[in-house]
Amino acid sequence: MPRKDHKGKVSGQLPYISDVKVENMVYGVLYRSTIAYGRIKSIQLPDLPEGYEAVGAEEIPGPNYVKIIKEDQPIFANEWVNYIGEPILMLVGADLNILYDLLEKVKIDIEEHQAIYTLEEAIKQKSAPGVTMASYEFGEILDTITSIELKAHQIIEEEYDTGYQEHVYLEPQGMLAIYKDDEIVVQGSMQCLYYIKNALINALACGDDDVRVVQSPTGGGFGGKEEFPSMMACHVAVAAKAVKKSVMLVFDRSEDMVVTTKRHPAKLRYRTALDRKGNILSMSVDLFLDAGANEGLSSVVLQRALLNSAGVYKIPHFHAKGYVLKTHTVPNGAFRGFGAPQSFAGIESHMCHLSNTANIDPLEYKRKYLVKQGDPTITKGNFRDPILMEEMIKDLLNTSNYKKKKTEFQQDNQQNQRYKKGIGTSLFLHGCGFTGSGERDHIKAKVKLVKSKDDQVSLKISNSDMGQGIFTTLSKIVAKELDLPYEEILFPYPDTKEVPDSGPTVASRTTMIVGKLLERAAKKLKSQWQTGVEQEVVENYVHREMIPWNEKTFTGDAYPAYSWGVNIVEVEVDTLTGNVKLEKVYANYDVGKVIDDRVMKGQIDGGLAQGLAYGYLEKMTSKEGKIQQKSISDYGPPTSLDVVSIESKIFDNPYADGPYGAKGAGELTLIGGAPAVQAAIEDALQTPFQQIPVTPEVIIDSLWMKEGEEG
Amino acid sequence: MITFTLNGRKVETDAPPTARLLDVIRDDYELIGTKEGCGEGECGACSVFVNNLLQNSCLIPIGSIEGAEIITIEGIMESEQFKILDESYSHAGGVQCGYCIPGMVMASAALLSQNPHPSEAEIREGISGNLCRCTGYNMIVDAVSLAAKKGDGLWQKK
Amino acid sequence: MAEKITAYRFDQLDQTLSQLNKENCAIIAGGTDVMVMYKSRRGVPPKIPKPIVFIDHLSELKRVYQKHKDLYIGACSTYSELLENPLIPGPLKKAIKTIAAPAIRNRGTLGGNVCNASPAGDTLPLLYVYNAKLLLRSVNGERIVAISDFIQGVRRIQRERNEIVAEIILPSVMEEGAHVVFEKVGNRNADAIAKVGFAGYIRLNGAVIEDARFAFGAVGPTMVRSVDIEKGLFGKTIPLADTDIAQVVGAFDKIIKPIDDQRSTAIYRKTVALNLLRYFLSMNQYQHNQ
Repeated sequence: MPRKDHKGKVSGQLPYISDVKVENMVYGVLYRSTIAYGRIKSIQLPDLPEGYEAVGAEEIPGPNYVKIIKEDQPIFANEWVNYIGEPILMLVGADLNILYDLLEKVKIDIEEHQAIYTLEEAIKQKSAPGVTMASYEFGEILDTITSIELKAHQIIEEEYDTGYQEHVYLEPQGMLAIYKDDEIVVQGSMQCLYYIKNALINALACGDDDVRVVQSPTGGGFGGKEEFPSMMACHVAVAAKAVKKSVMLVFDRSEDMVVTTKRHPAKLRYRTALDRKGNILSMSVDLFLDAGANEGLSSVVLQRALLNSAGVYKIPHFHAKGYVLKTHTVPNGAFRGFGAPQSFAGIESHMCHLSNTANIDPLEYKRKYLVKQGDPTITKGNFRDPILMEEMIKDLLNTSNYKKKKTEFQQDNQQNQRYKKGIGTSLFLHGCGFTGSGERDHIKAKVKLVKSKDDQVSLKISNSDMGQGIFTTLSKIVAKELDLPYEEILFPYPDTKEVPDSGPTVASRTTMIVGKLLERAAKKLKSQWQTGVEQEVVENYVHREMIPWNEKTFTGDAYPAYSWGVNIVEVEVDTLTGNVKLEKVYANYDVGKVIDDRVMKGQIDGGLAQGLAYGYLEKMTSKEGKIQQKSISDYGPPTSLDVVSIESKIFDNPYADGPYGAKGAGELTLIGGAPAVQAAIEDALQTPFQQIPVTPEVIIDSLWMKEGEEG
Repeated sequence: MITFTLNGRKVETDAPPTARLLDVIRDDYELIGTKEGCGEGECGACSVFVNNLLQNSCLIPIGSIEGAEIITIEGIMESEQFKILDESYSHAGGVQCGYCIPGMVMASAALLSQNPHPSEAEIREGISGNLCRCTGYNMIVDAVSLAAKKGDGLWQKK
Repeated sequence: MAEKITAYRFDQLDQTLSQLNKENCAIIAGGTDVMVMYKSRRGVPPKIPKPIVFIDHLSELKRVYQKHKDLYIGACSTYSELLENPLIPGPLKKAIKTIAAPAIRNRGTLGGNVCNASPAGDTLPLLYVYNAKLLLRSVNGERIVAISDFIQGVRRIQRERNEIVAEIILPSVMEEGAHVVFEKVGNRNADAIAKVGFAGYIRLNGAVIEDARFAFGAVGPTMVRSVDIEKGLFGKTIPLADTDIAQVVGAFDKIIKPIDDQRSTAIYRKTVALNLLRYFLSMNQYQHNQ
């Protein structure tokens, strides 16, 4: 059974947005700030030839911000600029050559102010006005922790840093606004149609019927096309309205690398009290996220980071506090895992280091603290569903021959002076869907099935297939319920004129939440089925009974369900160069129930490749507000020669409120990669690291230090 | 004027000699199967055959291909080899977002025509210039391996 | 608005040379570097500031042949062509295989890699230890220049406007007896730009070192090589004493001065360069592997 979109993709004939040309279309190019923080004093435009126009803040019919959460992100900066690359105005016209020449002649005078360039600086200045954008604190009372620490045998403090991660979706961002007399149709590469539609209604100060958003085939998203496209949509729509032509904006790869959102760099501080045997008595975590120049989704990312700050463990007397801090750098945003990868990298690393102190195998140490069904979560919620982690761990230990390898590697490493082998593990979970009561209070998903007179059934939902395969999985669910051949189910690219708001395509919610709604809708349609008659059914989200989430006190059930995973990774490290070679990767997962094996394997392999690379390969840095890696090869996402085959297995653990028991899967697969690869490198070199990515530079530096210590 | 063969058809273009082959085939001949992912030869989404050799069309100035034979994904779409690759990619689940796929298929075809029975390592080498961010490559490697088996005899070295 | 761009593509080398004699041109021998260097933005041609001469199709520049013990490589041989050619020494093939990926290797040329004169040029460390020479042609005739004299700085070469690098000569390379290694350190296993490159060459007479050569890439504006340091090893026996190794490593420590950039750090580059050298010098045996 082929994927729904296979034919068009394999032949390349399915048009992505950059393949589209419409009548009366012009291109847009953006003039961007070259200053990290400053006040715009004047804008001087060159003489524009006929047919060329400039569009800026003055042309925006509505308020000048991109509607996301806070009103802090201008569509076109017109007073202050807050990062290098921030759009100030757009030039539009027919010929890109001419546009690029004109762009070089735009003169903008900016009075420069003292910028905050790094997370370190922002932490130092976190009490200064505007620097802390959001902050949450929860868990054990600090006085209690202090009194525990007083009696503890030992207190371990560790600081852990995680770097940027860039999505590198293969298709760069692109958006087209089609100008019509009575409406603006915005079409492009995107994950969240209604985020864009709401941003457009706000920016254009128009009615619901005046804008329409249509998803184009989307060449990868990974979160990078969650909130960022809203800004581009505003740019092209405002421009189209101003020049009364259709406007296309497509990014060059280097532009995409430098100005689009990335995974938040983070700093995590752990303070853990241990008894004489190395048992944990209490743990406090301080977590800092670098938001970049505006808040965007950062507060929500912080929530997820904090909710995962204790990993898969039941830690006695746990306390956590987190901050979203502003820097004058490119805004950071959604990326597969959404705050969880930072937290899991940190906690898995910390637990591994604690196990060294206790002189116990890391995996054995971690298993002692594994949460079990019925345990409370760190926010006083409950793990109410069965947890298969022990089973999954045991199975993976067998598959990978972990214990034998661990001993063998240690012996081999004595012999081989240059190459050292190591094996590492990670244990992790992912909370499925929106945090807390987001689904009930904010999203309120609605799905629709439409049956035509000739009995063809179409899915009408606002979710994007960006490669993850929902055309296939969701069609399968509907086909199965209706007893129809999968091939006959239609799932057109969504268009807000046709589809209700079934929510954004984020947070590993699509299969579990939207899939469940579709299952119910299909059941309903089947029960009402009238051959030869047009029919329509709608289903609305129903919230699972759980401990109500309170965002202020940070208590309650943060998620309706959790997916789980175990990774084991083997590496070989070249001690002369610090290069890390992946040797073997093993993975077990519980995602409830798999809808389509191939789609699931695609998520596993792709997610792991990204997660592993986050731990040792992909490196992005910012220097005085400028992203340094402007090309794919300088940044270094894995090629086919960097990934190895992955042995994976799925454990069934059906969840009552997911279709056939399915939970979320898309983000989970990324999370375990980085901590497992770090642990494997540590095992190979018998050296702890306090950061990811563990690049060759980091490795060589630490080997050099170690040599110094050992004289 | 620059003359070359595009998918078996003699064509002539008045594009400037520095124009990228990628832009010429996409804009002037509306062949959209060749994608732009990076514009620097680092992703392989724009792979085409130049005189039967896999090359990145974003790095080729049109002035340099006078008389050359250019084949894009559209030029192989009707072939038996493509049908095998199509089925194999589908069967192995090698396609996700799809943006790298036409280039990946070109690289696969190039590899198999030079080496009809590649090992896993040779397949990884053969597609190493084609970046994919969705699949982690393994299902693509499986697809090429499957195509080699299914199309046994079809990939004879030219 | 786009200015008229002139480009030449002659059938013969002679015509090409006479055009070069008339006009200062940018030479494209494959173009995989030139097209990136002058890259404009999406959808428009690169902005090359001079008239262009294409030379990669000239068969006169694609011949590979042996003359006595010397190997002559036509400058416009593509990397893929060289990989297929039985005359090309194994270590050079190994270096070529680390270049980018197949599609680039089908287009990029050895002469292009030399004339691009990037500090990270993948074949350069090896060409340096092979004492490669370049045969330059112009309407006035030919001249031969050592690669280390030809490459003068970052993207700076000693080529006269009217000249073309026609052949790369590897002197005495077909002679038996040398052990040659090449190591490229990049951030990943394909499509990577070198953070450090190292080539080592050693020729023994029994256990006595007759000749030793080392070149380091991506740790300075040009390849780092020192004939003086190398000479210090001549006459020593294998395995080398720790003090000899330390002396050579210490001497290179003084002259390797890398920089920080978006790909790596100065300290990493230097440490790894010296690590690779030390490792090469510490080997207990060296086998002929040309």
